[in-house]
Amino acid sequence: MATDYIVTPRAGHASIRVDAGGNAWIESYRCVDCSAVLSSRAMACRSCGSRTPMQTFRVAESGMVYSWTVVHRSYPGIAVPFVSAIVDLEGGPTLKGNLRIDDPDAVRQGVRVRLVFDDAGGAHDKDGAPYVGFHFVPEGTGA
Amino acid sequence: MSDTYIIGAGIIKFGRHPDRTPFQLAAEASLLALDDAGLTIRDIDAIYAGSTFNSASMVAQRMLHLIGQTGAACVNVSNACAAGATAVRQAVLAVKSGEYDIVLAVGAEKNPKGLMGGPLAEGPPPEGLFGSYAPPSIFAEAGMVHAARYGTTIEQFAQVSVKNHHHGTLNPKAAYQLETPMEDVLASEMISWPLTKLMCSPNVDGAAAVIVVSEKKARELGLGRAVRIRGSALVSDPYEPRSPDMFDPNSVTRLGVGKAYAMAGLGPEDLDLVELHDCFATAELLHYENLGLCADGEAGRLIDSGDTELGGRIPVNVSGGLLAKGHPIGATGVANIVEIVEHLRGEAGARQVAGAKIGLAHVLGFAGVAACGVHILEKAG
Repeated sequence: MATDYIVTPRAGHASIRVDAGGNAWIESYRCVDCSAVLSSRAMACRSCGSRTPMQTFRVAESGMVYSWTVVHRSYPGIAVPFVSAIVDLEGGPTLKGNLRIDDPDAVRQGVRVRLVFDDAGGAHDKDGAPYVGFHFVPEGTGA
Repeated sequence: MSDTYIIGAGIIKFGRHPDRTPFQLAAEASLLALDDAGLTIRDIDAIYAGSTFNSASMVAQRMLHLIGQTGAACVNVSNACAAGATAVRQAVLAVKSGEYDIVLAVGAEKNPKGLMGGPLAEGPPPEGLFGSYAPPSIFAEAGMVHAARYGTTIEQFAQVSVKNHHHGTLNPKAAYQLETPMEDVLASEMISWPLTKLMCSPNVDGAAAVIVVSEKKARELGLGRAVRIRGSALVSDPYEPRSPDMFDPNSVTRLGVGKAYAMAGLGPEDLDLVELHDCFATAELLHYENLGLCADGEAGRLIDSGDTELGGRIPVNVSGGLLAKGHPIGATGVANIVEIVEHLRGEAGARQVAGAKIGLAHVLGFAGVAACGVHILEKAG
């Protein structure tokens, strides 16, 4: 049977939001009482315990590397090597993600990077819906 | 509130024990501790058993099925790598409450093989897609923050492994008695840069036990080989702006250590030896500063100085640490305390820290979130 609808992709990471048109962004939360930024939803502020509902906001997609490692051995079936990077996003939370870079030896704290959405390694859920993921690339390079 | 004392301690040889259950390992360590104290299982009022992978099967009760079903209160404690320290801490609190006089704390573990951890949530497995959540990667990243801030080198991190493996050659209970020169450490398989395989603690099985008693009971039984618990602290990870994506082993450790020093009424300058949580070589340098063994930024220079080697100003991990002794998760926090006890009694053999009077044992439990346990012990007799 032919279908006349497009399957909406699903978020492959807790911080990703996807609208009906398949557009993706990163959403975070800001405490209205102490201004702490949380990358994932909580029932009260992790910093101050405030139960006032948090502000949600769309996160900037550029930031700086805070720390990193080059992973040479991981769990069975995971392709290595890859760069695991911890990135402070501008005005937003800190997120961990893969950093795709030609020369892993060139990674340093403070390197400017951009967040790029991707197809989460081609992953699909059990109903066949695709996932949306993200990775980082050095600022000024292509996706 | 009167002090608590450790009057018995036991540890089995760490390593792979494929033919034995974790309950047998717990029983063996507990019998060693009971024999050491000159007590029997019938003297024990309550048991706290630390285990991370085996707690759900009630380690304490299954152990009693092997060594005597006395009906003692049993509490099975799981708290990642801090499970053992948590068991000791709960034993201390139970004795301090006045409800019990003699409590056994045991940690026992049969570790799974390979890298620990793995995905919890639905969706595509995050490893390799959204960075790495494998423990070596987490502690590599924590180390690189130090390297970025202070210029700490891979050789300085690697020297931790050289030192602790050397110490392990002096400990018959260590899983590995193997000298690992710098070139071997650096040339071993790269796991998560800058951590090579020899800079990662090995998954092994093991068990250790201590007997915690009230001051009244300690005086009754004799203070000769007793060890006084001066400080006992357990904390969870406080809020950090970058967590959970950036794990911070520092603030949770500083919180726990600060409480333990305050309780003991002393500071790092009073310590004769330290057993700290060197799950990965990077962690040991971070904890030098977290424990106040040196100023912030000085950890690289402290390892270079040799002051943390056996015979140095403040020997660290003379047991071989997790790197050489092995890291049976739930047993580690008790094993570190057993090590301190042996030194304070002057019974640590070839690795004895001469004249040791006060020692500190630290563990850090981590599973994306964290726990830190710190105990400060003093020679009593």
